[in-house]
This record gives sequence, structure tokens and C-alpha cells, in this order.
Amino acid sequence: MDENNGHDDVLVIGAGMAGIEASLRLALAGRHVHLVEESPCFGGSVIRFEDIYPNMDCATCMIAPLQQDLLQNASIDLLTLSRVEKVSGNAGKFKVRVKKKASYVSAETCIGCGMCFEACPVSLDNDFEEGMAQRKAIYVPAAGALPNVPSIDTDNCLRFKGEECNACIEACMFEAIVMDDKDEVLDLDVAAILVATGYGLMDLKPMKRFGYGKVPDVLSSVAFARLYASNGPTEGELKLRSGDAPSSVAVVQCVGREETGYCSAVCCLNSLKFAHYVDHKLPDAAVHVLHTDMCVPGKTHQRFRDKMVEHGADLVFATDVKVGKGSPGVKIAYKDGAGKAAELKVDMVVLAPAFVPSEGSKELADILGVPLDGTGFFAQGGNGGGPVSTAKEGIYVAGCATGPKGISQVVMEADMAVAAILTGTDGGVS
Amino acid sequence: MTSSDAKADSQGFRPRVVGFLCNWCSYAGADLAGTSRLDVPAAISPIRVMCSSRVDPVLIMTALMRGADGVLVTGCHPGDCHYDKGNYFARRRFALTDQILTSLGLEPERVRLSWVSASEGPRYAEVVNEFIEEIRELGPNPMRTNRSL
Amino acid sequence: MARRIGFFICECGPNIGENVDIDAVLNAVEDMDDVVLAARFGLMCSGPGKDFLKANIKTEKLTHLVVAACSPKQHELTFMEVCEDSGINPFLFQLTNIREQVAWVTKDKEEATEKTIRLAKAAIRRVRYHDPLSKTALAVNADVLVIGGGVAGMAAALRLASPERRVHLVERSSSLGGRVVAQGPIYPTMASGGEMATAMVDLVEGNDWIVVHRYSEVSVVVGFFGNFEVVVTGELEDGGTLETKVNVGAGVVATGAEVLEGKPLEDLGHGSIDGVVSSAELEAMLADGSIGGKGGKAPKSVAFVQCVGRDEVGYCSEICCMNSAKQARLLLEAAKGAKVHILYRDLCVPGRDQQAFLEGAVKAGANLVRTTSVEVGGSKGGITVSHSLGDGKAEKLMVDMVVLSPAMVPPTGTEGMAEMLNVELDPSGFLLEAHAKLEPMAAGIDGIYLAGSASGPRSVSDSIVQAEACAGRVLSSLIPGRTIEPEIRVSHILETLCTGCQTCLEVCCYGAIVYDPMKNVSHINAAICRGCGNCVAACPSNAISLYHFTYKQLYQEIVEAIR
Ligand SMILES: Cc1cc2nc3c(=O)[nH]c(=O)nc-3n(C[C@H](O)[C@H](O)[C@H](O)COP(=O)(O)OP(=O)(O)OC[C@H]3O[C@@H](n4cnc5c(N)ncnc54)[C@H](O)[C@@H]3O)c2cc1C
Ligand SMILES: Cc1cc2nc3c(=O)[nH]c(=O)nc-3n(C[C@H](O)[C@H](O)[C@H](O)COP(=O)(O)OP(=O)(O)OC[C@H]3O[C@@H](n4cnc5c(N)ncnc54)[C@H](O)[C@@H]3O)c2cc1C
Ligand code: SF4
Ligand code: SF4
Ligand code: SF4
Ligand code: SF4
Ligand code: SF4
Ligand code: FES
Repeated sequence: MDENNGHDDVLVIGAGMAGIEASLRLALAGRHVHLVEESPCFGGSVIRFEDIYPNMDCATCMIAPLQQDLLQNASIDLLTLSRVEKVSGNAGKFKVRVKKKASYVSAETCIGCGMCFEACPVSLDNDFEEGMAQRKAIYVPAAGALPNVPSIDTDNCLRFKGEECNACIEACMFEAIVMDDKDEVLDLDVAAILVATGYGLMDLKPMKRFGYGKVPDVLSSVAFARLYASNGPTEGELKLRSGDAPSSVAVVQCVGREETGYCSAVCCLNSLKFAHYVDHKLPDAAVHVLHTDMCVPGKTHQRFRDKMVEHGADLVFATDVKVGKGSPGVKIAYKDGAGKAAELKVDMVVLAPAFVPSEGSKELADILGVPLDGTGFFAQGGNGGGPVSTAKEGIYVAGCATGPKGISQVVMEADMAVAAILTGTDGGVS
Repeated sequence: MTSSDAKADSQGFRPRVVGFLCNWCSYAGADLAGTSRLDVPAAISPIRVMCSSRVDPVLIMTALMRGADGVLVTGCHPGDCHYDKGNYFARRRFALTDQILTSLGLEPERVRLSWVSASEGPRYAEVVNEFIEEIRELGPNPMRTNRSL
Repeated sequence: MARRIGFFICECGPNIGENVDIDAVLNAVEDMDDVVLAARFGLMCSGPGKDFLKANIKTEKLTHLVVAACSPKQHELTFMEVCEDSGINPFLFQLTNIREQVAWVTKDKEEATEKTIRLAKAAIRRVRYHDPLSKTALAVNADVLVIGGGVAGMAAALRLASPERRVHLVERSSSLGGRVVAQGPIYPTMASGGEMATAMVDLVEGNDWIVVHRYSEVSVVVGFFGNFEVVVTGELEDGGTLETKVNVGAGVVATGAEVLEGKPLEDLGHGSIDGVVSSAELEAMLADGSIGGKGGKAPKSVAFVQCVGRDEVGYCSEICCMNSAKQARLLLEAAKGAKVHILYRDLCVPGRDQQAFLEGAVKAGANLVRTTSVEVGGSKGGITVSHSLGDGKAEKLMVDMVVLSPAMVPPTGTEGMAEMLNVELDPSGFLLEAHAKLEPMAAGIDGIYLAGSASGPRSVSDSIVQAEACAGRVLSSLIPGRTIEPEIRVSHILETLCTGCQTCLEVCCYGAIVYDPMKNVSHINAAICRGCGNCVAACPSNAISLYHFTYKQLYQEIVEAIR
């Protein structure tokens, strides 16, 4: 497929929805793509959700064919456990240094059987599951995560702590574990760079009023999404810490909106989706959605809201929300539409934290020499270009790296960046 | 969960079930059951089709006439079909299959349509287990004698 | 030529090797018809494994290959490549999945072995009936049709037009620019919409590779991705029409949206009470300077009423909250100290920048009022607006002007457009996307794309993003001088069996089937068919067959699968 001998290769940073879409499209057009992803698996945030609004598509089903295409595409080098370290040069001829962390498992020989992690004696909380499940020091983040090749977490592996352990090496029949694997440095020449590093979620702990980390059964949105997922820690059962099913759940929106000063665009819809989750798995449980504005923009989302209400979601206008221990359960104090104090007692509370810039945005922006905006997301539209351009020619940005948005908009921006890269000019009219 | 389901039970019954799995969701779900090392009864023989809509009454009847004790068709959840609406058509055709079965004096329960997504490894295992259990209760396909055809 | 089938089973180390009695499997299949070799290997997908396959294909002169190993999702392509490298058509191969779907899910070795034998035999019997299939390469026309000359249509045209790619831009009105060309400042940048759109019009008109058809509509579109035939019908000055035929490879629909009119507005005094205007009318007054600007008048007190017609249409129009914030700002600039109330239900300001823009309006003096119902009445001193607050209490406002924010609705002619293009409409009456998440810029028909408000209300910036996304899709798949390779495993109709009942036409979601009234048979266009097999199941005459999933092939699988 490579027709231009590497002179017009593209570097894509971040392999979430935006990075995947752009890479596949660029490869289709005959470009060679280096796709740099810092985590051990690719797919970004969406691989943690089972269903997505507004049509309740299964995210795994939706993204799996794209992931497979990508893994089998000879024009795309997927570099997991990798980060961009240095960038110099200009549009058309950037020099990029990528550091690929050693995984200690050979992707060529590993067949993904999982024997090694069964053998590993070290267990720790799995971040991918928001700590609700355990993983080993040699691990894949979740069943079905791709590429299906484990890696060793050197912070926790006994060998890297100077202790004696050969458990995984002995368990692997394929001699796929390479303890002398080394970090690799790759120097790439690329014509264009696309930043698709996505978002993070606001840290809930400092916002004491929401009780996160203190009150039991107060969960983050992602944790709740994992509870619902068939490949998650409970195989899809919605459970309280006690192991019982909740008989009532409240979803609290706009958590952190005051702090960030913007609306995160997907939380209302996402919270309605959670109401559907509860309705689907626990039809007798009550669901309350505490919102300020119910933001359901566009031609389809209001219908989605109406459907959720039909299915029993109780939409509650609430400001000044405070979450505390109930006895039993969780108690929520808030002000209702008339400004009067009100209270709600439920078994479980799900908090929808605001989107924030992904960790490392600042560092990456500095490496690339492009600015962030006041909110800390990558600044758009510099250089007289459109929403996917940055202040630097040849460097583009797409998806939640520039702010909160849903998957459709993420995909459109990715394709817009593809258009700009393929025509060699910055995106659009400001 | 029965662990020796492909072996004959006390009445000497070894159920044989054909599973038509759509390529995009259900086949991936069945693979995930494997990656997660779940128990799936060996009585099921998976056959991959691109979409559940390819599975017409003729194929299902063929399997039953040849002696299958049951036919399981799995496709993407409504709305998730890789070909837009294939699974809706599959569902519609199922009503027809039901009628044919009844008119032939076969229990409609011998044929089942289920939705299994790519992340639903556990669900796939559960659906197959339940179905095989049901087939066990129904006993052998009365048309089985034709199997030597 | 006699078939010579090679059967290979992969041990996958202990994964299959320890859970399945490989020798028993080899014994069970080696005497089957046409099987000339049954062999095992430790790790078939490895380099040595592939070499092992290749060597055996050569020495045994194999014509067909069956591999029992892992999921086709893992290594089907790997082994198809081995076939190709060894001169076997890759479709004369079958992979049967005995790892994920046997060895890993079956505890009892005896059962696993038995199931493996069933699946192996099914694959072997199936492969005997495989047909060699090959890729076809279709030459494409890289030109593009764009329908609608608003900002979305112009953005797509400008991105796509090049010396190798002509763009036909069809606009039904007298001039390009759409809604934005007549607009004043646009949120969130407050740059002049009129100036921006005019600059785009100039670029389009100065572009040698864009052919603009004004006063024109598209009357016919037939064909498929890469090869559409289009008729553009233009109105002539003498009242006659001119038909122009153009050939393109793809089409972008950018026909925009219109503003709701009628009852929901009339109920709030539009057309009967002086000073009650729609946001579009205010937009025009702000743009032409009759309000604000030098010498323009400016109302001292204004009430914006949001969500007009929202219940009737059933959706939130996405742009109106922001637009009212913008218009409020402009009115407050025109008349310092004016009283401006925005009566809203939910504030819809999604995304990074929008809330800050809204807060800007509040800082400038706009008063946001959350309300549940609004009534408008005329009176001597102005207009009365009564509305209820969250606590159920009613409040009355007296204002000079009421601005209604009506819903955005699909433009007239959308139904006809949908029918012509074979594209579906969504419940709101806009053109429907192929996939709400993965293909929000594409219609369900390959090669037809959707840009701007044509598929739902959108801001200028989002309209342009979507238009550019359409361009990205076209630029990456429809490349001048390159061919496209349609799906190989497609369906085809046996004319001798087809009775012309056209049942199949109704079930195909892609419009791949056409009926030929002359011959009274239907025909599948292999360039459009995606190979789902839906039509096969629908045909009452068994006239349709899906390559690689033919009845015969599946039958062979079934027979062995239930032994
Ligand atoms: C709880 C929840 C539910 C949601 N549900 C829905 C829904 O139902 N429907 C919907 O449309 N949207 C939903 N969303 C929004 C959706 O998740 C986003 O729109 C989408 O995932 C964004 O894709 P992205 O590619 O921009 O970013 P991401 O998915 O965040 O991907 C970014 C990738 O970049 C990698 N990365 C980050 N920094 C670096 C770096 N410096 N170097 C290398 N790699 C890096 C990350 O590891 C990640 O893989 C939901 C969001 C949340 C929080
Ligand atoms: C009052 C008001 C204020 C607004 N203010 C803002 C703002 O401040 N900021 C902002 O971002 N957005 C604003 N918008 C939204 C903005 O107008 C739209 O985003 C924009 O017009 C969308 O552009 P478009 O090209 O999709 O459609 P349009 O501008 O509607 O253009 C569509 C074009 O297609 C042509 N057409 C239609 N049907 C056919 C056919 N069958 N054949 C050929 N041609 C056809 C039409 O004649 C028209 O020229 C506002 C909207 C309104 C109503
Ligand atoms: S060496 Fe031991 S601790 Fe480290 S990953 Fe392997 S098994 Fe786990
Ligand atoms: S490293 Fe070895 S044991 Fe671990 S998954 Fe890969 S092949 Fe299996
Ligand atoms: S954007 Fe605002 S005014 Fe418009 S329909 Fe939505 S909520 Fe109502
Ligand atoms: S359904 Fe069958 S018989 Fe009817 S038109 Fe189509 S191919 Fe011909
Ligand atoms: S196989 Fe599917 S896409 Fe092809 S013609 Fe039949 S119904 Fe249409
Ligand atoms: S592709 Fe799974 S049901 Fe159609």
C-alpha cells in the first residue's frame, strides 16, 4: 500500500475512537500510519462501555471490526505502551522520537492464552475496572482487550523488585516472555501529526460534598459502566458492596461543572443511558436522575430521554447536591426547582464527573509546541484553520482532546483531520 | 451446569444442536466465552454466517430434518446488526419457522433466536447452557431416525 | 482436476494439544473423501508453521486447505495468505475454530475431541464445495456531486475540488451561501456570518474545478459508489428547464434546515401581536442594521422564548439557546441598560466553550429565567409575557419585543430527496445516517454523504466539521486513478429460477437489487452488495445464492455438525 516510501507518513497520537478512525482512513488512502498509544491496549474510553446512547449499540460490537481491520492493516503500525518524546521540524518533514516501553512479552510468539497471568503470584487492583477487580503483574486490562498480548507491569512484578520469581516464564509454553526486553526508541519521519489523546474525568475526591471515597456505594460513572459490562468485574451484575442488588439508584449530573465552567456535553445522555442500564438489569429498581439542565441537543436525543422516562426514569431538577451516609444506604440533600430543600434516600449513587483534559496534555503540548486553551484542552483553530487545526501547521487535533463531545462528533473531527492531512492544508474556514 | 452434556444421559440421549452465529457480534461473543474460559456445552456445533438474516427457515428445517435436536440462531442485538436491519428480518422469519414446526408436530422450542453481543461471553455461555438444558427436557428429535440419510 | 484436500490441526502448544486428542482427530478424518493428508503442527501461525503448510501444499499438490486452529478473527487472513502464496485460491480454504469454541470452553477431553472431529469433518465436507473467488477491481469516477450551496455544501466542495476531481455544486436558489450569507455575527466567535459565507462564495466561484449549477435541483441519481449517473435540472429564464447529465463517484447532500413556521408561533402571538418576531426575523434585522447598528432602533425590553415548537417536533434544535444568548448580547450592545429576559426550559450549551459564551450574555445583562410554560398577549403599553416559575408561581413581564426561538425543521423537498437517493428518513424527518456513531456523515447508501443541517440542526462550525468529514471519507476512498475493490462474498441471482416477485428488493438494506421488467427477473449489483445473505433467505424461489455461504456449503456443515 505504501506508495510514497515513507515521505508522507502520518503520526497519530492516541488510539481511541478518534485515532482509530483517522488511522484507518489514512491507511485506506495509501498513507503509512504510526499510531502511538500509551496504554497496553487500544480503543480508548469506549471499550469500557457495553452500550452507548442513543441507540444502545454495543460498543464492543461497534468497535471490534475496526480494531480487527486495524490490527491486520499492514499500513498501520500500532505502537502500544508508547509515548512521543520529542518532535522537531515542520509540516511535511517532522522528526519524531517515540519511546516504546518494554512489554516483556513478544507479540510475535505470544498467542494470548493467559497461562502466565494465572501463574503470577502478584495481585493488585485493576485500574481498568476502577479497582473493583484484581489483576496480576503480568496482565491484559480486561478479557477481550486488544491486542490480546499481556505485558508486565514493572512497578509490581516481583522480579523488578529484585525478588526471585519465574512463575510466568515457567507457565508460558511459548517462550513468549522475554525478561531482557528493552525499551525501544523509534525515530520516525512524518509529514503530519494528529493529536487524538482524548479526555480524562475530574477527580471526585476533592469535591467533598459528593461523598466519593467516603460514603459506600457512591460510584463514578465509569465504575458503574464497568459494573454493567458483561466483561466487567461482576460479569454485568449491578451490585452494591454488600453483594445485594440495589433497589434504588440516583445518578447525579454536572459533578464538577461549577469547577470547570463548562458543560461536558455527554453526561446528561450518559446518565439517561444509566437509567436504561438499571431498567434493563433491575426492572424493579427506582432510578432518579438529578440534573440542572437536561441537555439533550439534536434530532435524536430528546426522543431517547422520553423513552427513558417512559421506562421509569425519574428526572429530578436539583441544585446544591450533597451526598452523605444514610442509614442504611446513601442520603442526598438538594434544592428542588422551587429552591426548597429536599432529600432522597437511595442504595447507590452514581456521579457523572466533568470531562477534563487527559493526563499528560500539557507535557505533550510542550513537546509538540502547540498551545492549550484556558480550560487545559488542546486549543483549536489556530493558524487561521478550522476546529481540527492547531497553531502549528501540519499538527492537527481531533476528538475529546479539544473538549468534551460524543462519539459522533469525535468521528467527524477525525475524518475532518483526514481531509486536511490528505489535501495538505489546514482545516476549514474559521 | 452439566459437565458431561455431550455424553449420553441416563436415557441414552446425546443432544445435537446446531448454532448459527452471526460473524460480527455473536461469533465474537462466543470467542470471548473461550478467551474467558467459560463452560459451553460441547453439544453445540457452531456454524458461522455473516448475518443472522442469512439463516432462513430452509436451513433450520434442513438441520431438523437431518436430525438436529435443536437449532440456535444468535445475532447482534436489535439495532446492532452489521448490515443495518438483518436481525429484524431474522426475527420476522422466525415467526414463520415456528409455524412450520408446529405444523410438522415439532416443538417450536427446538428452535431459538437469541441476541448475543461481542462483549457478552458470559451471556453466550448462558444462552447455550439454557438451550441445551431445554433440549434435554424435550428429548430427542422425533425425526432423528432420518439421520442416517 | 481431482480435489486434494490437506487437513492441518494446530496444537497451539498445550491450548489445543492438551485438551483435544489430536491423534484421534487425525484418525477420524484421514479417510474422508478427497483428504490426501492429515497432519498436526505445534504452532501453525508461526513462521515454521506457515512454512510447514507451504511445503506440504507443494509436495502433496494440495488443491484445498482446511485448518483446525483458533478463531478466524485471529488467523483466517494469515492462512488465506499462505494459500495465496502457494497458488491456492484463498477461498478454497476453511478455518475451523477449535480453540476459542472448543478447547477453551470444554473441560472434558473426550467431549472436546468429539466436538473437534465434528467440526473438522464439517469443514472438510464444506471445503469440497467451495468455489474459487477473486477480487474485482472497479474503475471509479472521482468527481463529486454536492447538493445545496450553504456553508456545508461549499466547505465540502472547496475541500474536494482539485485538478483531478471536479465538483458539481447544485443550488436550488439564485445564489450560494445558504442561511449564513444573510446572517450577522455568529456565535461563538462573533465573526460576521455574512462576510464568512461571502468569502466562501468567492472562493467557490473562483475555483476552476467547481461547476456551480444555480436555480437547479437534482432530478435523477442512479448507480453506485464510484459510478453514479446524475441529472441536474435547471430552471431557465424563459420558464423552461435544462437537463444536464453528469457522472460522479459520490454525492454529498447539504440541503440545510428550515425554521419552523405556523401554529406553535401563532399561539404565541406571531403574526397577530406587533413586536412578536421569530429569531430568524430578528437575525435579519440585526444583519441589515434595522435593529442595532448606526441609526437602527433597539428595543428597551425584550423576552426571548425558547423551545418554540419543541414539543411538536419532538427534539431540541441545539442551536437556539446559543443563538438567543448571541442575539441578547447584540441587543444589549445596541441599547445599553435594556432589559433582556431569556425564558428557557433547559439550557442547552454543551461543550467546552458554549457555557462561557452564555455567561458572557449574562454578564452583559441578560436575565436567564427557568420556566415551564409561557403565554404571550398584546396590551397597550407593550407585550405581556406570563410564565410560570419552578415553584409553580406565575410571573408577568411587560416588554417591547418578544423573540420566539422556533425549532429547525427539514427543508421542503426532503422526502423527495430521500426517495431519489434511496436514503431513509429518521423519525424527525431529517435524512438518516448510516450509523449514528461510526458514520454520522454518511447515508445508508454507499457513496452518499450528509453534510450540515441536512441530517439535523447544527451550528455553523459543526456543519463545517461534518462537511469536511464527508470530504475526508471521499478523499480516502475515492481516489482519482485508483480502483475500488467491492466485497467478494456477495449474492447473485440465478435468472432461470427468479420469478420476478421482487421480494428481495424489499429486504436489501443497500438497494443492491434492481428489477428488470423486460426480462421479469431481478439482478444484484455486485458492486453494492455487502453479502449479508438477507435476500437469500427472503427469496421464495431459492433463486439467490451467497458466495461462500451457499446452501450446499452450509448443508455440508450441518450434516457433519450434528453427527
Ligand atoms: C461514563 C461515560 C460514558 C460515555 N458514554 C457515551 C455514549 O454512550 N455515547 C457517546 O457517544 N459517547 C459516550 N461517552 C463519550 C465518549 O467516551 C467519547 O466521546 C470518546 O470516547 C472520545 O474518543 P477519543 O478518541 O477522543 O478519546 P479517548 O477514547 O479518551 O481515547 C484517547 C486515547 O489516547 C490515549 N492517550 C492519551 N494520552 C496519550 C499520550 N500522551 N500518548 C499516547 N496515547 C495517549 C489514551 O490511552 C486513549 O487510548 C461517554 C463518556 C463517559 C465518561
Ligand atoms: C436565526 C438563526 C440564527 C443562527 N445563528 C447561528 C450562529 O450565530 N452561529 C452558528 O453557528 N449557527 C447559527 N445558526 C445555524 C446556521 O444557520 C446553520 O448552522 C447553517 O445555516 C447550516 O448550513 P447548511 O449549509 O447546512 O444549510 P443552509 O445554510 O440552510 O444551506 C442549505 C442550502 O441548500 C439549498 N437547498 C436546499 N434544498 C435544496 C435542493 N433540494 N436542491 C438544491 N439546493 C437545495 C438551500 O437553498 C441553501 O442554499 C443560526 C440559525 C438560525 C435559524
Ligand atoms: S515474574 Fe513473577 S511477578 Fe513478575 S509478572 Fe512474572 S509471574 Fe508475575
Ligand atoms: S505470554 Fe505466554 S502464557 Fe502469557 S498469554 Fe502469551 S503465550 Fe500465553
Ligand atoms: S437549543 Fe435551547 S431553545 Fe433550542 S430547542 Fe434546545 S433547549 Fe430549546
Ligand atoms: S425474491 Fe427471488 S424470485 Fe423474487 S425477484 Fe428476487 S430473486 Fe427473483
Ligand atoms: S446479500 Fe444483502 S446486501 Fe447483498 S443483495 Fe442480498 S440483501 Fe442486499
Ligand atoms: S450481523 Fe449480526 S445479526 Fe446481522
